[in-house]
Amino acid sequence: MKKFSVYILLVFLLLASCTGRVKEDLNVPGSELAPGDLKISEQAMNEIVENISSPIEMAALVKELGVPFSSRYLSNLDNIDSHASSFKMAYTLGVLGADLGYLNVYEKTGTSVNYLASISRIADGLKINQFFDFNTMKRLATSSSDIDSLMYLSLHSFNQMDGHLRITNRSNLSALMITGVWVEGMYLATQVAKEKSDTSLAQYIGEQKVILNDILLILKNYQRDAQFSGLIKDLELIKIEFDQVKISYIMGEPKAVEQDGMLMIVQQERSIVEISQEVLGKIIEITERIRNKQLMV
Amino acid sequence: MLKNFKLYILIFSGIIFFQGYVFSQEMDGKVQQCALSAGNDVTYLKDFVVNLAAAPPNQKPPTFKTSLALRKGVIYRFSLCNGESSEGEAVLRLYDQANLLLSTYYPETGKEYKSISFACQKSAAYTIVISFKEGKKGDAIGILSYVKK
Repeated sequence: MKKFSVYILLVFLLLASCTGRVKEDLNVPGSELAPGDLKISEQAMNEIVENISSPIEMAALVKELGVPFSSRYLSNLDNIDSHASSFKMAYTLGVLGADLGYLNVYEKTGTSVNYLASISRIADGLKINQFFDFNTMKRLATSSSDIDSLMYLSLHSFNQMDGHLRITNRSNLSALMITGVWVEGMYLATQVAKEKSDTSLAQYIGEQKVILNDILLILKNYQRDAQFSGLIKDLELIKIEFDQVKISYIMGEPKAVEQDGMLMIVQQERSIVEISQEVLGKIIEITERIRNKQLMV
Repeated sequence: MLKNFKLYILIFSGIIFFQGYVFSQEMDGKVQQCALSAGNDVTYLKDFVVNLAAAPPNQKPPTFKTSLALRKGVIYRFSLCNGESSEGEAVLRLYDQANLLLSTYYPETGKEYKSISFACQKSAAYTIVISFKEGKKGDAIGILSYVKK
């Protein structure tokens, strides 16, 4: 009878595991991060997270500007420690995701294999490796045959890993992951801006003011943790500069046009970003400092 | 008796696990297929897997709603794929706060689109709403892509 009860229990456990909504223990070395008392609801947080744009857009903008590929914009894989704390791993996963986006946009599939391997190790440490099909991605990257599929798989995997962290009560790690993506994307944009003066790039950097406010809103949910409060303090240094960026709007009704047989809606309302060279220079400098510091922590 | 029970449990557990695995693989395949239907000139950014119940009598149809950030200067493409066994036809709408920017279905003209591009001129948070015509039960996949220049 005792054995019978054990079997019943096993079946229930198995069923529960199939829903993917059970709380998971992280079992990784380093600090265990308690989500703590949330100041904003999980739903509001999910909405904010969805509002952090993809690393592809930043990399694509840089490519459209005619900026050649440079490995100087990438993080150094020698500094990646897959046995670090969950805080460090989640943040680094975001950083590597942004780097992978940059590599994929420039179709540098040879280099991306090393990044894929590091991502896979970190995802394994965070127990979200089931969403990262390393072998298929490695095959696609090595053969350079289907860059679209590689890009699709990379982004889809990151969306799934992030989603899984949030539904398994690890929103704190999801917050770190998206912060890593954002900081690395900002690093790419600001490093390019340092070398190439371009209005659209400067405007793009200025618009990140809105995104940073959202990221800080999420991170402040976990500020009781010393590592989180350190990260918040760093990001607030950029916020001080962003506060001097002005964003205004010109109103207008959207227009429908047909392009190559497809309907396209062209938005007429537009945003105008005012950012001085001085403020841009400070944002470039602080972003570089924080990005390098966070990768070494 | 207990031996047979053990066997049943094992088979049952195996079926549940296998079904979950197959469902997840199938869904990934469908999302990828839908993403590919968005065109050769795009890069996949996000997907929205929607499964909605039928609207109860005299009530508003259920909707899937999520917000997303779109960036100025980028052309996005929204694509929609109905599930094979979906009873209802999905409609995707994009809003900037309360203002409707685009819809894959315009009832006044009867025009319907599987994909619509959107030239964004204002970096902001927008809202995507997906529902099914006449409040029918249905499943669909929405794809957000980046149109390469």
